Formats: sequence, structure tokens, C-alpha cells
Amino acid sequence: MTAKALILAGYGLNCEEETLHAFNHVGMDGVIRHINDIIENPAELNDYQTLVIPGGFSYGDDTGSGNAFAQKMKLSLWDDLRTFLERDMLMLGVCNGCQIMANLGLIPGSDKAFGVRKIAVTHNLTARYQCRWVDVKANSKTNSPWLAGIKSMHIPVAHGEGRFMMDDKTLKSLKKNGQIALQYVKCHPDESRDRGDINHPDPVLQRDDKKMVLANGQFPYNPNGSLSDIAAITDKTGRILAIMPHPERGMFPWQRDDYHELKDKAQREGKDLPEIADGMALFKNAARYFG
Amino acid sequence: MSYRIEILAHEDDGRAKIIEGALSALDKPASVRVVDVYTSDNAAIMDPVLIGSVTNPVTQSSFIRHPCESGNDTIDLKFDWALEIGFLPGVTDNIGHTVEELLELSSSCFPRENGSLKPQEDPRFRGESNKVYSSRLYLITGDLERSDIELLAAQLSNSLIQRASIKTRDEFEADGGMDVIVPNVTLEHEGTTAADDVDLNISDEALIEIGDKGIANADGSRRGPLGMSLLYMKAVQEYFAKTEGRAPKDIELETIAQTWSEHCKHTIFASSIDEIKDGIYKHYIKRATQDIRAARQARLLSPCKRGPVSSPAEDPRLHGESKGGESKNGWNDEIDGDFCLSVFSDNAGGIVFDEDWLITDKVETHNSPSALDPFGGSITGIVGVNRDCMGFGMGAKPVINRYGYCLAPVPASRGQLLFQGKDSENNQHSDIEKVTVPRFEYYRDKNLTTPILSPETIMNGVVAGVEAGGNQSGIPTPQGFAYFDDRYVGKPLVFVGTIGLMPRMINDKLSHEKCANPGDKIMMIGGRVGRDGIHGATFSSVALDEGSPATAVQIGDPITQKKFSDAIIKELRGKSDSNGDSWYSAITDNGAGGLSSSVGEMAEQSGGFHLELEKVPLKYPGMAPWEIWISESQERMTLSVPPKNTDKIIELMARRGVEATVIGTYTDTGRSHITYNGQTIMDMEMDFLHDGLPETPLKTVPIKGGEPEPDILCVPRESGDLSALKKGPRFRGEDSFLDTMLLQMLSRLNICSKEFIATQYDHNVQGSAVLGPIQGPGRLYGETSISRPLLTSPKGVVLSQGLAPRYGDIDCYHMAASALDMAVRNAVAAGVDYNHLALLDNFCWCSSDEPERLYQLKRAAEAIYELAVLYKAPFISGKDSMFNDFKGFDADGQPVKISAPPTLLISSIGVIPNVEQSISPAPKAAGDFIYLLGETRDELGGSEYYDHHGHLGQNVPQVDGEKNAQLYALYSKIARERYIASAIGVGFGGLGVALAKKAIAGQMGMEIDLECLNSDLRADKLLFSESNGRILVTVAPAHKEPFEQSLESFGSYYRIGTVTEEDKLIINNTLDVKLKALEEAYKAPLRDY
Repeated sequence: MTAKALILAGYGLNCEEETLHAFNHVGMDGVIRHINDIIENPAELNDYQTLVIPGGFSYGDDTGSGNAFAQKMKLSLWDDLRTFLERDMLMLGVCNGCQIMANLGLIPGSDKAFGVRKIAVTHNLTARYQCRWVDVKANSKTNSPWLAGIKSMHIPVAHGEGRFMMDDKTLKSLKKNGQIALQYVKCHPDESRDRGDINHPDPVLQRDDKKMVLANGQFPYNPNGSLSDIAAITDKTGRILAIMPHPERGMFPWQRDDYHELKDKAQREGKDLPEIADGMALFKNAARYFG
Repeated sequence: MSYRIEILAHEDDGRAKIIEGALSALDKPASVRVVDVYTSDNAAIMDPVLIGSVTNPVTQSSFIRHPCESGNDTIDLKFDWALEIGFLPGVTDNIGHTVEELLELSSSCFPRENGSLKPQEDPRFRGESNKVYSSRLYLITGDLERSDIELLAAQLSNSLIQRASIKTRDEFEADGGMDVIVPNVTLEHEGTTAADDVDLNISDEALIEIGDKGIANADGSRRGPLGMSLLYMKAVQEYFAKTEGRAPKDIELETIAQTWSEHCKHTIFASSIDEIKDGIYKHYIKRATQDIRAARQARLLSPCKRGPVSSPAEDPRLHGESKGGESKNGWNDEIDGDFCLSVFSDNAGGIVFDEDWLITDKVETHNSPSALDPFGGSITGIVGVNRDCMGFGMGAKPVINRYGYCLAPVPASRGQLLFQGKDSENNQHSDIEKVTVPRFEYYRDKNLTTPILSPETIMNGVVAGVEAGGNQSGIPTPQGFAYFDDRYVGKPLVFVGTIGLMPRMINDKLSHEKCANPGDKIMMIGGRVGRDGIHGATFSSVALDEGSPATAVQIGDPITQKKFSDAIIKELRGKSDSNGDSWYSAITDNGAGGLSSSVGEMAEQSGGFHLELEKVPLKYPGMAPWEIWISESQERMTLSVPPKNTDKIIELMARRGVEATVIGTYTDTGRSHITYNGQTIMDMEMDFLHDGLPETPLKTVPIKGGEPEPDILCVPRESGDLSALKKGPRFRGEDSFLDTMLLQMLSRLNICSKEFIATQYDHNVQGSAVLGPIQGPGRLYGETSISRPLLTSPKGVVLSQGLAPRYGDIDCYHMAASALDMAVRNAVAAGVDYNHLALLDNFCWCSSDEPERLYQLKRAAEAIYELAVLYKAPFISGKDSMFNDFKGFDADGQPVKISAPPTLLISSIGVIPNVEQSISPAPKAAGDFIYLLGETRDELGGSEYYDHHGHLGQNVPQVDGEKNAQLYALYSKIARERYIASAIGVGFGGLGVALAKKAIAGQMGMEIDLECLNSDLRADKLLFSESNGRILVTVAPAHKEPFEQSLESFGSYYRIGTVTEEDKLIINNTLDVKLKALEEAYKAPLRDY
């Protein structure tokens, strides 16, 4: 049986179609459903193994990004959601979905303490919306099935509120439990080409994760001032992933900011570009998890 | 009783940081805390569930009424000043709406949690409004005067739409906090909601007064300008006297004014002008498309099931569909046939994308509102043009947004001296003059109490409006521009465009065709109607002055729109009934003129309508019928629906949180008929309404612009070593004057990077970006974008734009031709299929009642007719805005009129068969050859270089259309072979700037020899001439032979140098500049915005 992924839509979520494309590309059976239809018939959740809240601008970020949509889910779907989470499932929240999951208390959600807000995803320190490509490195301690085999990814962010904030105690426990899934990093350039700027690494599909160092809060590598350069957080089991960057916008080489450099290099070397890029690995992992 | 909750954000809040930054820029260091405030007459907002739902416990704490009485002593709330900014009554409050939804949600779910009350039994709701209003309170600590806070308030708010209240700490404590203000709307004429008769049996003077100032109210005040000339007023007078035999009602007069407005009827483009009897639009714009389509009719591209019905207003000859019956399998990737599907007849233009899909494009302007409320103006503009896309055919899905801003110059980044890099090597340039920006002081009123907004306020506002509108709608914005000229100071131009995507067949019918049938119900879907934007259409047809109405300003609500956009495009559009017919037969958007225009236009198809005005859902009671009818409240679509389907649509929309209402019926009576509570308040002939406006033949008077060509040994504005200049034509080995010139050119506002705009706009959403706005490792702000609107197809949409307003100061013919060539060559450079390229025209003129301006207009239209036909690139959509003039007062109280320069924006949209063949501007490898394609002539008239030296000149760049067409066709073929490694169209700043941009984009050096151009021109002219038709490319040595062979027949290609590993741009004997210096000059000016 093909594993089924439910991708929520409505009230300003807007990345459902490209997210659906990602799941279908890896052979899963993706379905887009309006949140109101799920609220009307919550039993439908039983049909799915993966629940996805895609990116978007639910309720226009009014009252805080992701807040109003999270309140809607909490006030009308909470028990059914809890039941879903108790099954062997995967859950993914990207960007606005990540913000919604933080407001729902699905992360950190340690010890099944779902529903308690301990993490805020708040205004970028630049106080500007940031749409740009970043490099993120997977935490070696993560146990997330979403990130199996992933060392790093070159994918874009696009958000006005992407700064993870929490108290020291929460941060400590996240670190201890390996719940910090991805962190923003700087890539070292290829030394042979002295461009003098680590902002512009050479065009290579897979960057050398050994040369990566944490962004250490430095803009634009860390695009929002996120605490500890955090780009993604999981629950304790790793099955619930809340990620600010957009893997579905970096799943094919032609989507990348350095596509023209990659394509030219491949042409000179007489090679073809691979069909997929970094972001797709995440979705492949979901398909693999359900085997 | 009013209630107020206050949510205090933690110290480390991004919004507070921005204000602290703004204050410290004024040398007023302070710390700021942000408090989100919600106010309502409904006690339910005090419900802990609601308060909990709007408070993030990690970063916020909540208080009721105000922080000081909270008793919460853990938060240190020492502050010196409190500044609160909220909306005025009736202004769209999106945050308030969201809290209203949460309020309804938390209350209706209340029973689910404790099993008791149902919402309708809940006493909290009995007879009370659930309106919630948001405002924001800033608690400021620092050594500040009231005047400082007032200045801050002026920066943070706009008195047209917002209120600002200021209190000292003492006042705050004495009053027990800020005042609780609930900005409910109360309309003065509540109850008097009938339609009034307007007596037109009056003198010409009285008719003129009605036309200029509006219909008189009972108290003698006027309702706002109708914008109708005496000629029009007399036509109305005659119609009602002779045909109807009665006085017109106010609503009838308002409707005629709306329908006949320049904004809606485009009377200047339609009227006969000199010897052009069929008018500029038909003679030049539409005829260009007709001629091109006729020439392209070699093969028919679209399947045909029935005759054209998209609009009776459309010239049937333009519908090529009836010219044959080949199946769509006859489709070929190499387009040489007619790819137009629907042009000029619908809300957007539609062309073929591939066998199964079509793409649409539309570019709008929203100038007048943006001068008054830049944010509201531009957000309303962008979500408005999104609706044009949804209102195309059966409704296209918006897939790309674009923008363009023509503004007065803004100051370069705060106080920093340009070129003073950290690198000591760059200090050789530190003596270069700082780009100085004129400061403007103008007022709307004679008493000098209402200054116009500063250029930076306007720029920040319009940038933010499109950011909010585009990002929240989930539509990528990869392409746009900002152009600066002093004369946009009073009337900025704000261009917004949307590209749509739609299957060519929907429910087995051509999707771009639609028809409102007699008997269909009129349905309104989306937001409710308020007094927003009353007189918007007539307002944008007149010059901005003291009397410009404030109600013309409105704020878009992208989320309300997103809800019905998803519901209509993604669900409703595909539904069919048992006969296989779509649930609705036609759709259009509500823009300027509101219902009067959307219902009126659709009723032209059926032949009449009957509207029951009392059924229109309102935001608040008390609106007069004419106000409901012409209100421009945003976020509404009008549908034509067979009666059997209305309930199904209402139900579907309700499940998506969208209101849908039946408000009338389309008829074939030939009458525009409106009743209000059963009483007829409008009953006019459709024909009179749409065709009754009197012809006003226009006459032009030729003028000639320009100044004598300057002696180009001209003096730079302030400083500069001229000794070297005088020695000879090429400054060989003499000096660094051209180094300096190139850096200064790169820092000019029309050339420097606008990356701060691009990164605020989500250009990756929908996963479609192939070539975004930031290009190459060096982050060039690109002029052309490429997107894959279908994840399943390798085809791409190529977009670019062109404009050259300053050339118009010399000759508008060449200004227009240059704009068109720029839009085309940029798209060609990126690899578009030259045979699959269409254009849009946006004329933003000024003083169009002056014969000289009309002459310029005619010349511009003539130019783009000729060039479009040569390029075989049809116009598919266009818009004009004819009175971009500001009338006000200078600092001495003297009247001034500042006219925006005649501006023609040409937007290009084309298809690339496979994005693998696309070409970006950044050079890719050292050792590659650099070629300049096209001729460089002595054409610096109106150039950035001359302007930099304070000159206009005479030799305006012209366009050799035949030669360029040859190059573009060849280039397009070469692009398919992938011989070209990088390319950039040569535009403002000429070859010098294009070389620098490429070096910056690729972070690579270049070595150039200008001798290779075989030209007698001086080096500075070679570098900065803005001759059209040129593309600068790099080619790998391996492709040199086939590349040159392919261009043999064209001839004008020059190998001028090589890409190098060195971090320098070297032009032999002329110039030698480090990459870092180029980059700093290019990026610094607007970096801090």
C-alpha cells in the first residue's frame, strides 16, 4: 500500500501544491484537503500516515505568524490530532506550518507534552521579510526519520518571522534530546578560486559539510537571528519536524539560485545535471519510512 | 461599554528594534516596547480563551485595559512616552478581522470544552457587535521631547487612515492608560437611504459645478467630483429630457460618471486625434496586434468549438479562432503562428503557453492612491491586478507578480559616504562626491499645512504594500524595477502586474471564453461593501490636488481574497453540472467603479440587468444606494450563474469561509435597472450608458525637446580632474577619471542595486523560480526573470520590462521605441523564444488636455506600432493613466504644477521552450570570450551619463528595428544551441555599466579592449552611450566558432575581451577598477532601506 500524505490548505496557506508535487514525486500518495473539510470530518485523519502543514501566510500572520491557524486547529481539531499523533505517523510543518506547530505546542512536545507553547517563532531581527537561499546542516544527534542520511541542504527561506526563541531550560533540553534538527551554517569557499567572499561558494550540488561552520547568528547566513542558529526542531521522537526553510523549493536543480552556474559547469564537463536536488531527500525519507 | 486587551511583547522584539533604529538615526537613543492592542464593544474579548489565543506565552504577556493596572509586577514598565496608532473608522483592519474570527471560534468552541453554553445562548453575544479593532501601542523610554514623539508618529502612521495618540507617563497614569477608542463607523445620513432626483434643468455654470464638485447634498455640501465635462453633462441632460422624460436620480448620474470616466472608457485613447479618425488605441495599439496576428495566421493553434463570445465589445476580427479547425495536436513547440487567444477584450491578455495551458498577463497602475497612502495604494494595486487575473476567462490562477515604481530620488543609505569601503585600497575613491539628492518641499494646500509625503516615505510604503499583498497571497514576485526622476515627486507611478495560468479547456469548453446569459443570476463573492474608494475611478482620472477625496484611499485584504481565490480557482472552476456545464457562465472582478462597472460590463453580454441593491451585504448600515453601487471595496468578484447553481455555490463558498450572495439577474431588456427595497432607483438604456458619451476630437501641436549636445569635456558637477580629459580622445594611460565615472554611474539610483526590494518579496513560492531577481554569485539585481509555472513542464515564462522616461524630454517617439526595445532585448538576452513573445503597454501621461502632450502621446503610440510589427510581438493588454500631474504649493505658498514625465512602460512576456536553454547575466568561467552584439553609436541624449553631468543633450538613442529583429531572431536560435554562457541586455549606463554588472554578478574579472569596437567615439561615449539593440555576452572558447558563424549574416558582433581570474575590470588604456569597488558602488546606495 502506498503511504498517504495529507497536505492541509486554506486560510492563506499557499505552498500546498508544490509540497504535493514533492510527495507524489517520491511515490507517496499525496492529497490536499481544506482544513474546514478535516474539521467537518476528523475521522478522515485515519486515512493518512503523514500530516503536512505547508508554508503560507495563514491569517496574514495577524496576531503572530501561525497563531490564528494554530488556535483554529486547537479549538476544533485537537483531540483528533492527538489521536493521530499517537499512531506511527510522520508530521511535517514547513515555514508557516512550522510556526503553526510551535503555536500548537507540537514542538518541542517532549514526553508527549503536546499542546504547551514553549517555543516562539518570531520577527526576524532585520524586521524585514527575508527571501534568500541558506545552507543548513543536520545535527549529528538528530533521530528524525525525515533527516536520515542528510548532512546538509542548500534550500531557501522566505519568512518575516523565523526567529526561534525559547528559555534556557527549553534550549538545554532540546540540545540534550537531539531535537535541534537543522542549523544555519556558513560554507567555506573553494580555496582555489580566490573570490574573497564566503558568501559565494562554488556551484556544486552537494556542498562539503566538513567545511561548514555554524552561522553564529551572523546575517545573512542566519537570516533571522534565530537562537543557536536553529532552522528546524523535532519532537522527541523525531517524527514531527518543524522546519523554517523550504525543502520543496529546492527539490530540483533548476529551482536553485546557482542553477545557471551548475548547468554551465555540467555542460562544460559534458555531464547531465542530476534530476533532483537537496530538498527532495527529505520527502524520499518519508517514503522510505513507510517502506 | 468598551473593552480593551493589551498584549505586551518581550524586549527583544524585531518591530521594536526598527523603531529604536529610526530614533537612533535621529540621534535620539531610546528603548521601545511594543504592545498589541485589541478593542471591542463585545465583552467576549475579555474571555481568557480568546486572550490566550492572541498571546504567545513565550514572548508576550497579556493585560486587560492597560499594563499599569495589571498588578503584574514582574514586568518592568518604566517608560517616558506612550504612542498609540490605530485605524480611523472604516479603514480596513485585517488584524481586527482575524481576532473577530478567533472570537467566533473560541466562543463556538467554548461549549465543546465545558459542555455548557451554545454561542447563540451566550449572553455575551446578545445584541452586541463582534467587531474587534486592532491598534499598536509603543512604550518609549528615552530623553525625548513631545516633538520627537510627534515626528515618530508621523513616520509610523498616515493621518489619512490612522490616528496617533501621545501621552506622557504622567498623563498615562492620571488617565489610567490610553483612551479606549472603538472606531465604529457611524454614517451621518443613516436612514436617508433613498435615491435623490437631481435637477439638470439648470444653467451651464451649475452643470459645470456638478461635474467638477459633485451632486449637492441637502445641506449644500458636495458629494465629490464626478469628473464630467460640460459636454458630458449636456449629453446627460439631453438624454433624460428627451428619452426618459424625467430627472435623473443621483445613482444614475454617478453611474454615468463612473462609466464614462477616463479611467474606464479611456476616452483619450478612443477619441479621434488629428488625422487619426479611429483614435490612438484602435489605430496604433490594436492595429499592431491585428497586423501581427494576420501575418502569423500561418497555422491555427487553438481548437474551436463555438464562436467568440468573450465580449461583444471585442472586435470579432481579433478572434482568430474561427479561421479554421485544426486540432490542437497540430501544436508545435517552435511557435511561428498566432499565439494570441484573448487580447484587449478581457481583464487580462491571454496567450498560448503550450498545447494544454494558456498564460495571461496584465499590468495596472495605482498612482493617485499611492501618493496619498503609499502602502494602501500599492497593496490595493497588487491584489487588484491579481483579481484581473482571476477575472480572465473562467478564472486564471495567479502565478507571478511583478512591479515597477517611478519615484522621486531618495537619499542614499543613511549618511554613509559612498565608496568608503573598509578596504584601505578603496580609499582612493573616497574623495568622490557623494550622490546628492534634492529635497522636496511641497504642500497640497495653500496654507502649507499638508505637506506631500517624502520620497522615502512613498518608496518604503509602496514597497511594503506589494510585499504584504504578494507574499500573503502566495504569489512569487521575481521581477520589477525602481526608476527615479525628480518629477515623480507629487505623483509617483506604481505599476503592478500579474501573470496567470489556466488550462485551455475547462469542462470541454475554451476557458478564455465566457458569456453572461439572460436569466443568469448576478452573484457577488468575497468581501462586504463599505464606503471604501468612493470615487476612485473618477479620482484617478483627474489631477491630484487639494480637493482629492480621502475616501478614495483603501487598504487591501489579501487573506480574504486568498480564501475566495482558492475556492474559485482551485475548486469551483472545475465543477460541472449534469450537462457538463460549468457552475457559472462568466466571472469578472470588482475594481474601479465596483459593481457599477463589473455588473455593467457583464450585462453588455446579456443585454441588460436587474439588480436588487438591498441584497448587497454591507460592512455597516447607513450607506446610500449610490454609494453601494459605486463603492470600490476590495476583494470581490462578480459571477454570472444559472439559477439552478446558486445554492451550490453559496454552500461551497460558506465551507471556505467566503460570503456569496445573489444580488440580481442578467436580462436582455436593454436596460440597466436597479431597485432598492422594491423601488426603482435606476432605469436607463444600456446603449446610452455605454455608447452615449459624446466624441471629443483631439488636436495636437508638435513640440521638439532636447538641448544642444553638450561639449562632453563637460565639468562633473562638483569636482574632478579635467586635465587628463582635455589631452585627447581616449585618455590613454593618463588618469583614473573614467574609473571614477564608472563608479559614480554604478551608484546612480537608476542603475544601483535594489536588492532590498527583491529579498523582501517572496520570489520562490510555488517553487517556480528559475532565474529570480537576484542573479549570480555576486547578487545582481536583475531586470529579467524566468519561471516554470508548471512543475511538470520544462517550459518557462520569461518576463522583463522597459522604460526610458528621460528620452521623452527629447523625443517621445524614441522614448517609446527604446522602452519597447529594452523590454524585448532583455527577454531575448535571457533566451526567450523570439517567436513566442508578447507585449503589454502602460501609458502614464501627464496633462493630457494639452495639445503638446497629446502630440507626444501620438508619437509614442506610432513608435510602438511600428516596432512591435517589425518584432512581430503583439500587444495583448494595456492600460493608460493620463493625468499624472500634481497641483499644489511650494514652500512660499506659490501654486505649482509638477507633471510626471510622459512614461511608457512596456512589459514583455514570452515562453522559453526549455529552461535548460535559459541564459543568466553572470559570466561562468575565466577564459570565456566577451562579445558585444549590436552597434554603439553617439547616442547619449537623455542618458544617465549626461544626466549625471546635468545635461540632457540631443542625440537620443534610436532603434534600428530591422537590424535588431535580425539579431534577436538569430540570437534566439543560438540560445537553443546553448552556445552562450552568459548575457545581459545593455541598458541604462551603456556598455560600461553592463560590463561592471556582469563582473559583479559573476564575481569575475574582465579584460576589455575598446579598440575592438572599431569606433571613432571617445572612450566615455563608447562606455556610456545607451544605444539600443545591444546584448553583452560571454562565450566559452569551445563555442567560439559556431557562435560567430551563426552571427555572420548579422555582422555587428565584436569580440571585445576575455573573462579573467583577476578581481578587476580592466579596460585597456581606459579604466582599471577592483571588483570590490564596483560592488560597493553598485550595492551601497540603497543598502540600508
